[in-house]
Amino acid sequence: MLFDSRLDPNQGVGGLARYPLAMMNHQTVVVDVRADIKSGGSPCSRILDSAEQLGEGDTLHLIAPFEPTPLYDVLGREGFVHESRELGNGDWEVRFTRKPKPVAPSGVPSVDESRDGCGCAAATGELLEVDARGLEPPQPMVRILDALATLPEGASLRAFTDRQPMHLLDQLALRGFRGESQENPEGGYVTLIHRH
Amino acid sequence: MPPTRTEGATVGPSTANAPSIGVPLRFILFGLACLAGAVGFLIARPTILSTYHYNQYVVAAAHLALLGWIASVVFGALYQLVPVALETKLYSERLAFAHLALQVVAVPGMVWSFWHWNLKHVGHWGSAFALGVGLLFFNVALTILRSRKWNPISVGIGSAISWLMLTVIAGLALAAAKCSYESIERLSGGNPLAITLRGLEAVSALVARFDQMSLMHSHAHLGVLGCFVLLIVTLSFKLLPMFLLSEVQNERRIWWVIGLLNAGLLGLVITMATRSAWKLLFTGIIMAALLVYAFELYAILRARKRSALDSPLRLFLWGLAALVPMAGLAAVLSWPGLPLTAFTGQLENLYGFLAVFGLISTALFGMLFKILPFLVWYGTYSVHLGRARVPALAEMYSSRLVQAGGATYLLALIVIIMGILLSSAGAVRWGGVALGAAVALHGVNFALILRHRARPQLQPMARAVKGT
Repeated sequence: MLFDSRLDPNQGVGGLARYPLAMMNHQTVVVDVRADIKSGGSPCSRILDSAEQLGEGDTLHLIAPFEPTPLYDVLGREGFVHESRELGNGDWEVRFTRKPKPVAPSGVPSVDESRDGCGCAAATGELLEVDARGLEPPQPMVRILDALATLPEGASLRAFTDRQPMHLLDQLALRGFRGESQENPEGGYVTLIHRH
Repeated sequence: MPPTRTEGATVGPSTANAPSIGVPLRFILFGLACLAGAVGFLIARPTILSTYHYNQYVVAAAHLALLGWIASVVFGALYQLVPVALETKLYSERLAFAHLALQVVAVPGMVWSFWHWNLKHVGHWGSAFALGVGLLFFNVALTILRSRKWNPISVGIGSAISWLMLTVIAGLALAAAKCSYESIERLSGGNPLAITLRGLEAVSALVARFDQMSLMHSHAHLGVLGCFVLLIVTLSFKLLPMFLLSEVQNERRIWWVIGLLNAGLLGLVITMATRSAWKLLFTGIIMAALLVYAFELYAILRARKRSALDSPLRLFLWGLAALVPMAGLAAVLSWPGLPLTAFTGQLENLYGFLAVFGLISTALFGMLFKILPFLVWYGTYSVHLGRARVPALAEMYSSRLVQAGGATYLLALIVIIMGILLSSAGAVRWGGVALGAAVALHGVNFALILRHRARPQLQPMARAVKGT
């Protein structure tokens, strides 16, 4: 059995709990981010911090108010497989289980290096990505600027947002970046950000 | 659409695209001061709601609430939201500042003149107010033209401001009709003042052909329904999906809502002014628009990714719920041949009160708890993003206080509604006291938000603490 059936999704709301599964010698960490997101907070760093601490065979049990699709790619690159399930009231539970860690190709930053504060960044060579769709303003701007704070020299950032990031573009200028935003054919906007 | 690009450093939060927070914030603060004044009027003179509404005190209080409180907040919100909704820069911030100055001077002047029933001065102050609205119209029209976005949102905003212009012109015409023009005799023919006065006299003669009460009701519907309700409906199509993490489900429905509201309103104000029995038909068209609106709203709510509704959004939706009893009252009051009795007069008071304090004010409070924290947050913390941990918007105010303010407000509405229906000045006064308490509770919350301007609450970034 992969999951501990004793887990109550409502337990530890907004917090983090550990449930060692003695029989399998693996642990499951529950992270419920519903309260964080409801209060406008940014829980993704907490999710990635929790994921980082997991060993092979350990599971991150995430409960969120929507399907956290960007995390599938992000944690997938860190060697996690996932199983997701809708809970019926719009909430989702996703169980990420760590498989043997792949070796990152040289020149491609790991998730740690590309962390953007939301953890929804996907590293692709010198072009990092932040998927800030599905967030209430001003969270997209917060996440993108957090990501830029650790952007490696020479790298660029591609940000996906639901709306044109009007206020972000101004903040980029103040920080010595240049941004170019255009409609994404798949919906929303894509903003390409470079240093001056 | 061509890409939007920004380059080069600029100073302060008002930069290449985003409007500065100064104009919207000042409009909102002025609006809140006017609301406190309007509630004070209600407590001091509760007969403005417990007796028939055509007297100078009702007119003064109504203009303080509508132009001072509602219009100021709406103007401030428009200067903030129009660039965001249309995804372009505001045409001119200088014009917006000029509008603010005119608003702050004109509204108290108009209210004072109404209170003392000096219609000549109402005309003077009203002209200053009209100039401000003209600046808004010009500024927004050029912003819409710049965005080149012809969608239901831009059409809704454009038509709402056009209705507002018409409201102001109608109001000035009504004031002109109540003035006398003896001084024309003493002026020479070519004198510019004489020419102006002759023009006003002609307007006065035209207005005098209509029933004055019906014209006043038309004027009120132009402003309340044409501007404020249409704007709330239009902007909700942009704001609700944004805050609910949802999407508009059917754009054709939005076109129908905006189209039917505009068509219904045009017919309504004409049939109202001419006392035509066809008024009921246009009331029906507006109700059909609201029904389509309810369908789309329900679809947006169902598609939302955020299951829990926060307190500000609940307030906003409670405000919209007032449309239901208002629509029922509108159907009754539009009925052909309905006699004007003491009771139907009170129903008219109730209809107006529900529009101003039930629908619009409640919805505005809801949106203020979204807009005001953002304005303060952006002005205070945007430069620190990525460098320090800044509070989330929801951490800037107390949700419990929002709920307490909302509950007290609801209690106040119930007591005042009872007072109106029973023609009880005492009940209206006590309801006014509860309304004052609700406004004070919301005021405390607004002060909590504004405190961040004086005392920013910054913390070191988590990664710096952890050394990761």
